[in-house]
Amino acid sequence: MKDEAIYRRLFRTALLIRLVEERIIELYPSDKIQSPVHLSIGQEAVAVGVCDGLKPDDLVFATYRSHGFYIAKGGSLDAMFAELYGRKGGVSGGKAGSMHLAAPEVGLMGSSAVVASTIPHAVGAALSFKRRGLSQIAVAVFGDGATEEGVYHESLNFAALMKVPVLFLCEDNGLAVHSHRPVRQSYRLPEHAKSFGIATRRLEEGWDMLAIRQATLEAAAKVRAGEPFVLEIVTSRYKEHVGVGEDFHFNYRTADGVDAWKRRDPLIVDQKLVEALRPDIEREIEAAVAFAEASPAPGRAELLTDVI
Amino acid sequence: MSIAAVKPVQGTRVLSYAGALLETMDAALADHANTFIMGQGVDDFKGIFGSTTGLAEKYGAQRVFDVPLMEEGMTGVAIGASLVGDYPITTHIRADFSFLAMNQIINLAAKYRYMFGGLMRCPMLIRIVVGRSWGQGAQHSQSPQATFAHYPGLTVVMPSSSQAILDMYPAIINRHPGPVISIEHRLLYNLDFTVSPSEHRVPLTSYVARKGSDVTVVATSVMVLEALRAAQYVEDKAGISAEIIDLNSISHPDWDLVAASVAKTGRLVVADTSWLEYGVAAEVCRQLVVRDPGLLRQPPTMLGMAPAPCPTAKSLEDIYYPSQHETVDAILTQVKGDKHGIALPVERSMTEGYKRFRGPF
Repeated sequence: MKDEAIYRRLFRTALLIRLVEERIIELYPSDKIQSPVHLSIGQEAVAVGVCDGLKPDDLVFATYRSHGFYIAKGGSLDAMFAELYGRKGGVSGGKAGSMHLAAPEVGLMGSSAVVASTIPHAVGAALSFKRRGLSQIAVAVFGDGATEEGVYHESLNFAALMKVPVLFLCEDNGLAVHSHRPVRQSYRLPEHAKSFGIATRRLEEGWDMLAIRQATLEAAAKVRAGEPFVLEIVTSRYKEHVGVGEDFHFNYRTADGVDAWKRRDPLIVDQKLVEALRPDIEREIEAAVAFAEASPAPGRAELLTDVI
Repeated sequence: MSIAAVKPVQGTRVLSYAGALLETMDAALADHANTFIMGQGVDDFKGIFGSTTGLAEKYGAQRVFDVPLMEEGMTGVAIGASLVGDYPITTHIRADFSFLAMNQIINLAAKYRYMFGGLMRCPMLIRIVVGRSWGQGAQHSQSPQATFAHYPGLTVVMPSSSQAILDMYPAIINRHPGPVISIEHRLLYNLDFTVSPSEHRVPLTSYVARKGSDVTVVATSVMVLEALRAAQYVEDKAGISAEIIDLNSISHPDWDLVAASVAKTGRLVVADTSWLEYGVAAEVCRQLVVRDPGLLRQPPTMLGMAPAPCPTAKSLEDIYYPSQHETVDAILTQVKGDKHGIALPVERSMTEGYKRFRGPF
C-alpha cells in the first residue's frame, strides 16, 4: 500500500505536467505565450520519478525542455504560467520564458537553451558540496544529444577525478532535434562513462515512474557516498522538438515508436486515475492561467535591471 | 629615453605586478572560506608566473588546484560552484585559451543574473593573461577586451599596474555581484611599481594616470605605461602636456572623465593593446561623437595592433605593435602637426625597455 500511495503521488505530478502542457497547446495559437516551448509530453515520468527520488535540497541543473522538472521539483505554477506569458509575476519577471525556468528555492538551478551547457554547473555545485562537507547532491539533466558535446566529456572526467557527488541524468529520447542516434554517436554511453570509472545504469522502462524513482534512489545513494553516476533513462518525446504540434508527417520518424510507448504510458492507460485527479488539477491550472492573465507586463523599469 | 624618467606616484612601498596578484589571491583565500582558485598549473612551481605560488601549500588542494585541459568545463564548474555560494577564481595563462570557454562565459555566466530575472547570480573572477613579445605568435598574443566587453553582463577590467590590482581585486572578490574578466598583461608581471594604500579609490572605473592640458591619451593595460613614458618624453623635448586616462574598466569606463578631458584638450590619442576595428578605440570615438561631435578639434590618432594575426618573427612583431616611437609621434602629431620636426626616441621596441624596467609605475 505504501507503493500505492507513492504511485498516486507520482502519478498526480506527472498528470499535472501533462495537463499543464496540454493547456499550453490550447493557449499557444492565441499568441499569449510568445516564445519557443519544448514540450516534455511523453517524458514526464523521468522528471517525476527522478525528483521524487531526490532529497528536497538536492539541486537540479536542467535544459530548455524543463517544464517537467520545474513542476516535479516543486516550482510555483502561478509563477510558471506568468513566466510563459512574459509577465512581471513570472518566476523571472518574464525575462526567462519557457526555456530558462528556474526555481532555486526548491532546487531547480536554472535551465539553458544551449545543449549540454548546464552539465558542468552540476559538477561545480557538487564540488562545492564536497568541499563543504554537505550531504547534498547535484543532478545534471541532459538529453542523449548533449553527450556528443565536448563539455560532457570534460564534466565526466573532472567529476571522476574529483569524486564529487553528481548524478548525470540522461533523458534518452533518441533524437537530437530531428537527428537519430546512428548519425550522431560512434560510442555507447555506458561504455563511455565506464572508461572514466563512472558507474552507469540504463533503464529502458522510462514510462515507469516507480522504477525511475527506485533507480534514482539507488543511484543517489551511491552519489551521496561520493561517486559520480550516470543514469540513462529511455523515454519518448511525443511532440515536435519545439512547438506544440506533432511532426510525424515530416517523415523523419514514424508514429509507430511513439504509439508503442503510448500503450504503456500510465497517463494514457490509467484513465480511471486520470479522471479522478483531473478536476482538481484543472482548477489549479486555471488559477495559474488566471494569475498570468492578471499579471502586468514588464516595461522600461525592468529592461535594464539585474544586468551585472 | 630612460624609463626612469616617468614621474613616480606617491607610494609607500614597491610591489611587482605578480606580487600584487599574489597578495590579492592570498587575501581572498584568507578572508573568505568560500573562495577557491583553479586553473591549469595554479599549484605548480611556476604558479601562474608567480601570482599563485605557494597558495596550494598554504590553503590546501581543496582551495587551490590544478585542472585537466577543460576550459569550457572549468568555467562551467566555476559557475555551478558560484551558484551555490562559492567564489571561484579561474586562470588562463593566455587569453587565447579563454576562447575555449566562450560558451560558458558568454552564453551562461554573462546571462545568469538577467536571464533569470535576478534569481541567479554567479560572481566569479576569470583571470586571463595577454602575451606579447618573444615570438608569442598568433595564438598567444590576443587581447580580447573588446570581445568580452561587447556582451552585457560581463565586467571587464585591465589592470595596468600593481596599484590597479590592489584597488580592484579585493573590490571585485568581496563585493562585485557578477562575473568579472580581468585581462592581465604578461609584460607587466615582472615590473615593480610603487603602491599606496587604496582605501580612498573607486576601483572599477577609469582614472587620470597623468594630468595634462594639450592632448588626451586614452590607454589600456601596458599601453598606459607606454603612454606615460611618451608623455614624459614630449614634455621634456617639446613642453607638451599630455593627459593620460587609464581606461582600466573596459566594460564600464568613466566616459564623463574621458569626455571632460577631451573637452579640455580637443585632441585625442587612443592607445590600446588590441586591434582597432570594432574595438576600444572605436568605442571611445562612439562615446565622444554621440555626446558632442564638436569635442575634437581634429581627427584623433589610434594606436593598436596591426590588422593581421600576430606574427612570430621579431622583425615583424616589432612593427606589429605600436612602439614607443609611434606613441610619441602620435602625441606630437596631435599637438604640433605631422611636421612637428621633433626627434623621436631611438628605442622602438617596448619589450626591450621592459626587460630593465624597475618602476615606478
